[in-house]
Amino acid sequence: MEFGTSGMLNEDGIHVDMDRLKKGEVNLGTSIMAITFKDGVILGADSRTTTGAYIANRVTDKLTQVHDTIWCCRSGSAADTQAVADIVQYQLAMYGTMNGKPPTTQTAAAMFQELCYENKDRLSAGLIIAGWDERHGGQVYSIPAGGSLHKQAYSIGGSGSTYIYGYCDANWKEGMEESQAVDFVKGALQEAIKWDGSSGGVIRMVVLTKKGANRHLYLPDSDYKIRHQ
Amino acid sequence: MTSIGTGYDLSNSVFSPDGRNFQVEYAVKAVENGGTSIGIRCKDGVVLAVEKVITSKLLKPGANKRIATIDRHMGAVSSGLVPDGRHFVSRAREEASSWRKVYKSPISTSDLASRMGGYLQAYTLYSSVRPFGITAIVAGWDSEVETPVDAQVGNGPSIGSGGKAEGKKYGGPGLYMIEPSGIYWGYYGAATGKGRQTAKAELEKLDLAAGTLSLEDGVKEAARIIYVAHDDNKDKEFELEMTWISNLEGPTKGRHQEVPKELLEEAERLAKKALEGDDDDEETTDKPEDKMEE
Amino acid sequence: MPGFDFSNHTRNAALHARGVPLPKATSTGTTIVGCIFEGGVVIAADTRATSGPIVADKNCEKLHYIAPQIWCAGAGTAADTEFTTALISSQLELHALSTGRKPRVVTCMTMLKQHLFRYQGHIGAYLVVAGVDPTGVGLFTVHAHGSTDKLPYVTMGSGSLAAMSVFETQWKSQMTEQEAIDLASNAIQAGIFNDLGSGSNVDVAIITKDKTTLKRGYVKPNERSKKQKSYVFKRGTTAVLNEKVITKQEISKYVTVHELEGGEPALAEKMDIDV
Repeated sequence: MEFGTSGMLNEDGIHVDMDRLKKGEVNLGTSIMAITFKDGVILGADSRTTTGAYIANRVTDKLTQVHDTIWCCRSGSAADTQAVADIVQYQLAMYGTMNGKPPTTQTAAAMFQELCYENKDRLSAGLIIAGWDERHGGQVYSIPAGGSLHKQAYSIGGSGSTYIYGYCDANWKEGMEESQAVDFVKGALQEAIKWDGSSGGVIRMVVLTKKGANRHLYLPDSDYKIRHQ
Repeated sequence: MTSIGTGYDLSNSVFSPDGRNFQVEYAVKAVENGGTSIGIRCKDGVVLAVEKVITSKLLKPGANKRIATIDRHMGAVSSGLVPDGRHFVSRAREEASSWRKVYKSPISTSDLASRMGGYLQAYTLYSSVRPFGITAIVAGWDSEVETPVDAQVGNGPSIGSGGKAEGKKYGGPGLYMIEPSGIYWGYYGAATGKGRQTAKAELEKLDLAAGTLSLEDGVKEAARIIYVAHDDNKDKEFELEMTWISNLEGPTKGRHQEVPKELLEEAERLAKKALEGDDDDEETTDKPEDKMEE
Repeated sequence: MPGFDFSNHTRNAALHARGVPLPKATSTGTTIVGCIFEGGVVIAADTRATSGPIVADKNCEKLHYIAPQIWCAGAGTAADTEFTTALISSQLELHALSTGRKPRVVTCMTMLKQHLFRYQGHIGAYLVVAGVDPTGVGLFTVHAHGSTDKLPYVTMGSGSLAAMSVFETQWKSQMTEQEAIDLASNAIQAGIFNDLGSGSNVDVAIITKDKTTLKRGYVKPNERSKKQKSYVFKRGTTAVLNEKVITKQEISKYVTVHELEGGEPALAEKMDIDV
C-alpha cells in the first residue's frame, strides 16, 4: 500500500502524503457542483473517469441518488465514493421506513459526514450532498477530504473546481430562476472542462424541487447547447 | 376472574386463558398507588407537575427531584415505583444521545415515546424480568425553526434556501404517556398516579384541544390540579415539583427547566386559594373504572 | 527462545531493499470486452496467460461461469479472477436457491464490488460482468478496488486501449447478435495483435434470454502453420563416442523385471477396488 504510514513529524512540521489515491485506482478527476436556487437545488457534474492517463469511462454518472430528493456529487476515488454512497443509500432507506417519514437533507449529510470522518485514513472522497425537503427547501452540504461538514449556498468540488472559483463568485446570485440556475451550472462546468485536463465528456445535471428529481444531459457534440434528456 | 389464583399471574410472559397478562395488570396497580403526575400541552410550551407525598419529616424540601431532563429539550415524570422511574429516565437519556450520535440532531418527542414504548413492551415478554411499575409522562418541545446539523462547521450561508413548502408549521409541543404494557399515546393533558381520576376530570374542563392555553396559565392550572387531586388524600403532606419547556421565544428558549421559584410559589398560592373556594362541591371520588375484574 | 520467529521477514525486507524483486504472480495481461445488442450481450477474451515475459499458457480460459445466464470475463491476477468469480458464483447460486428466483446481474455486480472493496485492491481482479436476467440485459465493469461502471460496450486489461479504439470507431446502437459478436471479436483481435500482454485465440460467450453459447476458440488467428521443411535431424548427425549395453540381469539387482505377454498392457501397479 502506498499510503497510511506516511504521516510523519519532522523538525519542520508534520508531513502527510496528500496524494492518497492508491496505485492503479480509478479516479474521478472531476468537476462537480451543487447550487441552491429559487425552487430547490441543482447538482451538476462532468462525466470523466480516469485511471492514470486513460479515460476509463467518458460518460460516467457522478450524480448519485441516495433518497427520493437527496442526491450527491462524487469526487475522488470511484470505489470509495460508490461504497460510501451505497451505505448511506441503505441507511436512508431504513430511516424512511422505520420512522414513517422521509429523511431530511441534514440527516443524509450527517450520515455521509460520519462515514467520511470516522474512516478519513482509509478514504479519498470529496462529496457534495444536495437535497430538497418540504421543511428546509433546497440545501447544499459539502464534505471535503478529512470529513468536515459545511452548509453552503452553493458548492464546487473536484480538480476542475479550482478553475471556476472566480466564475462562480462573480456569477452566482441568490434566488435564481430555474433556467437561469441551469445556465449558471452549465457555464461553470463548461469552463471547468475547458481548463481541467481531468474533467471532460458530457455535462449531467439533476434539478431537485417539490416536483421531484429531473435529469438534464448536455453533449459536447452540440457545444453543450441542446438538452438531450 | 377465575384465572386468578390458578397460577397464571405468577410469571411474566404467560397469558391467562382469557388472554390477559396479570403481571402487567399488577404493575398498573403499583402505578395507581404512586403520587399524582400530570402534563399539560399548551400552545407555546409544555408543563410537567408531580405530587410528592412526604414520607418523612427528615426529608430536605426541594432536594429530592422526581422530574428528570432527558435531553435539553425534553423531560419526563413518572408515577409508581421510583427506582423504575429512574431506570426509565436513564434509558431515555441513552436513546436520546444515541439518536444524536447517529442523526446529529435532537430526537423528537414522538420518536422518543416510540423508542421507550418499545423498551417497556420488551419487559412484558420474558419470564426473567418484570414489567415497569410506572406510567411515565414525557414532555418535549421540537424546535419550530431549522436547526444546524450537530457536526456542521460554522453557521452556514446567511441567505435562506429556496423551494420550501409555504404556510406549513413544524415542531411544537409534544406530550406522551407510556404505560407498563408499553402502550403509549399522545395527549393534550395527561395524568397518572393516585389522583389521576380527579386530575383527568380537571384537565378535560380546560379544553386543551383548542390550543389557546398559554404556558404560564398552564403552569397555574397544573399546580391547581395537583392540589385538587391531592384533596382526597388530605391527611398526608406533599411537595409540588414542576418543570416546563417553552418555545424559542418563551422563558426557557426550548429547554426543559424547573419552573422558577417565584412563579411556582405564585401558582401554589393561587391553587390553595382556588381550593378554598370550591371546598363545598365535594363529588370527586375514585371511580372504579380501572378496577380488576374477578 | 519461545515465541514467534520473525527472522524471515527481516531477511526478506533486507533482500527487497537490495533490489531483489518479489516473486511474480501469473498475470493475465489481457484483452477482454463486452458489448450489448438487441436482446442480449456478448463478452469476449483473448487466451494468453503471462508470467513476466513468459507466455505461461497459450490457450487459457478467461470467460468464467457465474450463473447459467451470467458470465464474467477476467483480467488481472489469474488466481484472483478465478477464485473471486468462483466464490461469487457459489454465493449467487445459494442466493438464487433461497429466493427461488433467477439471479440478477446487478446482484452479481454488487457482490463482486463489495468483496473487492473489502480487500482494498489487494485482490487483483478486473472483471467484465455480463448477463441477461428477468429485468433485462446487464453489462458492467468491476475494478479491483471496487468501483463499477455501467456502459453499452466495455473493455478491460492491458489490451483495453486497442480494443476500445475498435469500439469507439465501429460501435453503433441496436446491433444484431452477429454484428455484436463480430465487433467484440475484432476488438479482441486488436488486442491480440497490438498488445504484448494479449495473444492467441478469441473466446466468445453470447448470452440471450433463451440461452448462453460459449464459443471457445471462436477465432484462431495464431494457428501454427505446417513447416515448409522438416527440421528433424537425420540419424547419425550426432557422433557416437562410445557404446554400452546393459543387460536385464544387471538391472534386476535394483528392480523387479516382469516379462510381458503379448497384448497385455503394461501396468505400473495393480489396485484392488472395493465394489
